[in-house]
Amino acid sequence: MSRPLLQVENLSVRYHTGRHRVDAVREVSFDLSRGRCLGVVGESGSGKSSLARAVLGLEEQVTGRVDFEGQAVLNMTREARLAFRRRAQIVFQDPVGSLNPRMKVGVALGEVLRVHGLVASRVEGDAQVRTWLETVGMDPVYAGRFPHELSGGQRQRVNLARALCVGAELLVADEPVSALDVSVQAQILNLLQALQKSRGITWMLIGHDLAVMHHMADEVLVMQKGEVVERGSADEVFRHPSHPYTRELIAAAPSVERALKRRTAEGPSLGLKELASPVQD
Amino acid sequence: MKSTDLNERVKGVGEAVLTASGLGVGFIPEGGHRQEVVGDVNLCLRTGRMAALVGESGCGKSITAAALGGLLPRGMKMDQGEIQWAGAGACGPGRGLAYVFQDPGECLDPVFTIGNQIREVLPKEDRSRAEERLAELFRTVGFDEPARVQASYSHQLSGGMQQRAMLAMALAGRPRVLVADEPTTALDVTVQAIILRLLAELQRKENLAVLLITHNLGVVAEVADDLHVMYAGRVVESGPVELLREPWHPYVKGLLRALPRLEENVSRLEGIDGSVPPLGRRPSGCRFHPRCPLAHAVCREQEPPLLGREGNRAVACWACMEGGWA
Repeated sequence: MSRPLLQVENLSVRYHTGRHRVDAVREVSFDLSRGRCLGVVGESGSGKSSLARAVLGLEEQVTGRVDFEGQAVLNMTREARLAFRRRAQIVFQDPVGSLNPRMKVGVALGEVLRVHGLVASRVEGDAQVRTWLETVGMDPVYAGRFPHELSGGQRQRVNLARALCVGAELLVADEPVSALDVSVQAQILNLLQALQKSRGITWMLIGHDLAVMHHMADEVLVMQKGEVVERGSADEVFRHPSHPYTRELIAAAPSVERALKRRTAEGPSLGLKELASPVQD
Repeated sequence: MKSTDLNERVKGVGEAVLTASGLGVGFIPEGGHRQEVVGDVNLCLRTGRMAALVGESGCGKSITAAALGGLLPRGMKMDQGEIQWAGAGACGPGRGLAYVFQDPGECLDPVFTIGNQIREVLPKEDRSRAEERLAELFRTVGFDEPARVQASYSHQLSGGMQQRAMLAMALAGRPRVLVADEPTTALDVTVQAIILRLLAELQRKENLAVLLITHNLGVVAEVADDLHVMYAGRVVESGPVELLREPWHPYVKGLLRALPRLEENVSRLEGIDGSVPPLGRRPSGCRFHPRCPLAHAVCREQEPPLLGREGNRAVACWACMEGGWA
């Protein structure tokens, strides 16, 4: 097998807040091959977002190694970093906060293309913007709209177009569907999968929804307090979890099917047996 | 055509506390004409039972909940239908009905201790025995260290603890109805499970009528008894939660198909095309028809009524009616 696209070794991220020190990510290592989807799951404060940012070279206090196609990401030269930024992009959770409210979608995307020197003229830029909007399943007329005129799903599509248009190969998506409604979430997840197949995009997906992760990811890292407590193929981890924390997460995740199976004639029977009752009698 | 009488459902299990019939909320912009936000909602909340109002954003579930307690935002008015309180006991917002919202961090006052905030909302008859009542409330919501929590400010508590404090505050007035609007959406799954369990225990022990507002069908299936699914301001299907085993309305079917499963991995999810229409752009006829795979001409022209069917269930869909095509 060829070399993985992304190799991470003993990566740690540390934050300093006043006198305190927080080890947000501790000694995390993993490989990610081209065209695969790695899911990183964990609860808030588990370090999953810090890990994502560190992989992209967006964190300051980082130790360890991150190699992108064998090239070290930390301590890159300016030119190398610019090229890396084109090939490794991020999509955030909040599709509203990620778009400039005063710029029409087409103008915003055109600016990205120009900044990276990918188009010579505005006309060429406009043409490319239309193509990218179609790639993410949007009518090109949306180039003339402002972000507030779009629905949440459409905004997230624009964010994907923004990341893809500079030639991204690795896309880090931090909770890309958490802010979306269920029916729209499915559309976006399908789009992510289609891009993985048609363009060979490599995904690093950060999230807390285990069902979404099981659906999307090939491999999974389960994080707790900055550490990876379990890793493996998504099917293996979700069907036969070995770490108690993974089991707890799975038991706590609300599931329509599981709950319906458990329901008796009298009504709901909470399946949260593993968790101690909060009420003291 | 009359909508189904939901009051007739689930007799003997709990007593009706609050009944909303034909409830409608309008948005009246200054100098503009009325736009319907929510229309023809029938709800019956019963002691010791949890009803869930489910839907995607913009479907009117939170507005319905706000209307019950007279908490509608500016410009909105409940101008149709009525709300009736049954039996003896406190009625109306304040004493009869209490709320718990999504973001406990924002609902709590950052400059007062938790203890002081709850003391402030204690009803008159409890003021003389405030400390005792406070301890009681804290025990009810399951605080391990009541003394520490009492003296804490909201930022010193975790999200789950903050939500417990909100629950304690909501229970302080001994309400008969508790409206929980996305109470666990901001919490981690493990904490969510604990708060849901707490909610279910309170409902049983305090004999509360609970209305749970959520977008999460999994949560509903875990804890609720009755279910009302809303779409674009209308209830499209309602009945016991078990209806999720075999829903009738194409929207509810679509929602379930769009949901990724933890248990089995399907290769491709079936989303529902399009998105929920915003307030000013709700279509005529059945509001779901532009996204519905079963839509016929009648769906574009006439709005289907919510009609009662077997098993205490009701559905608003032309295709599901007798002589329909589904």
